[in-house]
Amino acid sequence: MTAIAQFEGVTYTYPEAVRPALRDVTLTIRPAEVILLLGGSGSGKSTLLRALNGLVPHFHGGTFAGRVTVDEFDTRTARPHDLARRVGLVFQDPESQSVMTTVEREIAFGLENLGVASPAITRLVEEALISLGLSHLRHAPLAELSGGELQKVALAAVIATQPHLLLLDEPTSQLDPVSSEELLSAIRRLSEDTGATIVLAEHRVERCLHLATRVLYMEDGAVLVDATPQEFAGWAAGSRRELLPPVARLFARRLNGQAAASAADGRLPMTVKDARHMLDVVETEMPRRRKAEAQVAPGDVVLRTEKLAVGYERDTPLLEGVSLELRRGELVALMGENGAGKSTLVKHFNGLLKPLRGAVRLLGRDVGTLSVAEAARSCALLGQNPNDYFVRDTVAAEIDLTLENLKFEGALRDELAARIIAELDLAGLLQRDPRDLSGGERTRVALAAAACGDPPLVVLDEPTRGMDPTRKGELARTLQCWVADGRCVLVVTHDVEFAARCASRVLVLGDGGILADGPADEVLNGSLFFSTQVNRLLRHALPGVLHEDEIEWGSSAL
Amino acid sequence: MSTAALAPARRRSRARGTATSCALARRQPAASAAYVAAVAFAALVVVNPVQVAILLGIVVGLLAASGRLRASLPYVRVALAVGLFLAILNPFFSRGGLDVIWQTDLWIFEITLTLQGLVYGITTALRLTAVVLAFALFNVALEPDDQLGLLSRFSFRSGLVLSLAARLLPVLSSDGAHIADAQRARGMELDRGTRRARATARLPLLGALLTRSLERAVDVAAAMEARGYGSGRRSQWLHRRPWRAADAALAGGAVLAAVALLTGLLRGAVGYDFYPLLDDPWAQLTDPWWLVTLVALVAPGALVLVRGRT
Repeated sequence: MTAIAQFEGVTYTYPEAVRPALRDVTLTIRPAEVILLLGGSGSGKSTLLRALNGLVPHFHGGTFAGRVTVDEFDTRTARPHDLARRVGLVFQDPESQSVMTTVEREIAFGLENLGVASPAITRLVEEALISLGLSHLRHAPLAELSGGELQKVALAAVIATQPHLLLLDEPTSQLDPVSSEELLSAIRRLSEDTGATIVLAEHRVERCLHLATRVLYMEDGAVLVDATPQEFAGWAAGSRRELLPPVARLFARRLNGQAAASAADGRLPMTVKDARHMLDVVETEMPRRRKAEAQVAPGDVVLRTEKLAVGYERDTPLLEGVSLELRRGELVALMGENGAGKSTLVKHFNGLLKPLRGAVRLLGRDVGTLSVAEAARSCALLGQNPNDYFVRDTVAAEIDLTLENLKFEGALRDELAARIIAELDLAGLLQRDPRDLSGGERTRVALAAAACGDPPLVVLDEPTRGMDPTRKGELARTLQCWVADGRCVLVVTHDVEFAARCASRVLVLGDGGILADGPADEVLNGSLFFSTQVNRLLRHALPGVLHEDEIEWGSSAL
Repeated sequence: MSTAALAPARRRSRARGTATSCALARRQPAASAAYVAAVAFAALVVVNPVQVAILLGIVVGLLAASGRLRASLPYVRVALAVGLFLAILNPFFSRGGLDVIWQTDLWIFEITLTLQGLVYGITTALRLTAVVLAFALFNVALEPDDQLGLLSRFSFRSGLVLSLAARLLPVLSSDGAHIADAQRARGMELDRGTRRARATARLPLLGALLTRSLERAVDVAAAMEARGYGSGRRSQWLHRRPWRAADAALAGGAVLAAVALLTGLLRGAVGYDFYPLLDDPWAQLTDPWWLVTLVALVAPGALVLVRGRT
């Protein structure tokens, strides 16, 4: 089959970078393939996509060796705008890729650039709006759209130009699960209905592995694995299990127990549906619950809210009558759909926002009587974007700035700095500019800057957005250590798998208040949406089981 | 860039599908632009104080009916501040009037406050406010993308800069608020002390905001290039809204008002003499050309806005 794009020995280094972002990459992309591009932060996924549309090297500069061809166009001579008719790229951040101010004008922008005639633009804009379910938003200003809607507009703007090759650079990394699911469904429809060639870089493998016809796994700029999804799963089951969807990890554990050879056919499930079929096949051996570890009882109350009403307009609060307690030794996941008021609620914990009604008590003191700076000694808040925290030139200076703000001095200041550096493994980064670090490293540095004063309450707002599975695991372990030390940690998250793995308690917000509040295995068990893959597979047989680490395989029936 | 961008973060307004809730903005850009231009032209040429006050009332009414009066408050503040300054200053330097209200010597200056000077100052302030609000109405009636569409016929790059500014300013403001919140949350005091102390405390954050803005600018530039910007001759999307009766009413009203104003101007229907004695301001209100102007300005706007609401 004719290649739609080809890499021939491509090595590329960004200007002023020490190491190449791409190393000797050789691969062929064929028509109608759906390629899932996996790899950790900084592994070269985005660079590979940008090399396909010519932004590398034309826009970014740097040193480029080898050759990339797209539809016979050599990207060394063809500029990105020359390739725009053939290659469409949807970027990570929906805010930074739109140019116009309303939806339909935004979709038309690319078509106008390509010189498409006005009547054809009308038709293509209409079709793009319909295909992504955006017709009702045609006149909406982009400034009033949610992240998910913005990202759909970006996708609509790209598909309107009918590119031969559609590139998606972690398009769901900034989105909540509902929006992600909608976007991925749209991508799946596009692939099935039009046979478009798609290269999708993603971290949330459980959401898209089953969509792919081929998987590329990148590490350190090189393509380490180029395989079918099943071959990739087989490889990951041996050495990188964190890259697998949870149900595949569950079955990989069974393969280990059986020395792989005697498994049904060595295949691993990609979806809950696959896993259910496989359970029917392997009747002789069934999953069973491991003996649960004893839960440590929570300690003193750190924060209490009393009939709290939050929002921006007194007559229409986002949340009303919120009364809750957070205790030492608890790791609480705060969940709920976009716009439910999660981020707004936690901004009341340190006084960034004032309640419409009710009160927040932090270690017994009314937060309304404290300045945010005073509350910061007791409540650290890590917002959604780690970059918001960086105002100094080095990681060490960022940590020092917080300790100075919080008026820690002398030996205690040094001790606190040393402790957070050790806890978050920052020793090797201290003299680096935080803005030059990878995404995962930035989150660790921002967390250090927010929480280095050893506050009893640490609140993290969507810390796993755009984080690769390895980094997520590390973050979960750090938070669990803090909780074991007697802190209280609250994580605002849409990531059900992350919440299930590390939270002891889950709060779900919705309908203007708290919908559910209880132990994670109770709240997440049986939910339609706020539930894990493993729970959805085994909820009837093993109620309350959330992830594969709670499971072992045995010969006894379920 | 201002430290005002570093105010506490607020949730973005969420008026799904009501983006163009102003009915004027849903009309043909050329028709809306012509109509608003006619309103601004009237505010510029009419001098009679009562007619100026009526025009101001029309502009305020159009803004209120568009639901954008509150959004126009910054314009009102600027216009009122400048207008008030002129209204206060004018009587002290204008000596043409005969009806002296108050007279005094201040060092080497002889200050004479006359009724004519006072009325001239107030009228000038009202005219300025009407003109400024007419331009505010222009922003309400034409979204930046439509302004770009109109401007593109003359200078696409200028229009694009306008559109990008309109698109990215709210994002920049939101970025600034988030940076400030993040620093407050790590113990930085940004809200205590005098205004100067607060500005000084926020100054280091502007660097972070500038860095973020530059990063965004680079990302937008990459996205634009990836979407074919600069690939050659652009086309322009023209037929996205069909012409309807309301568009014809707006355009027709604009033309009629302009003709009536020009004729009225030549026939003295909208002029006024302040000095040495005030003309009768009510005399011109029944002039047919003024009445035609009024109808041509009020009727199409009211029609579009009322129909837009229902």
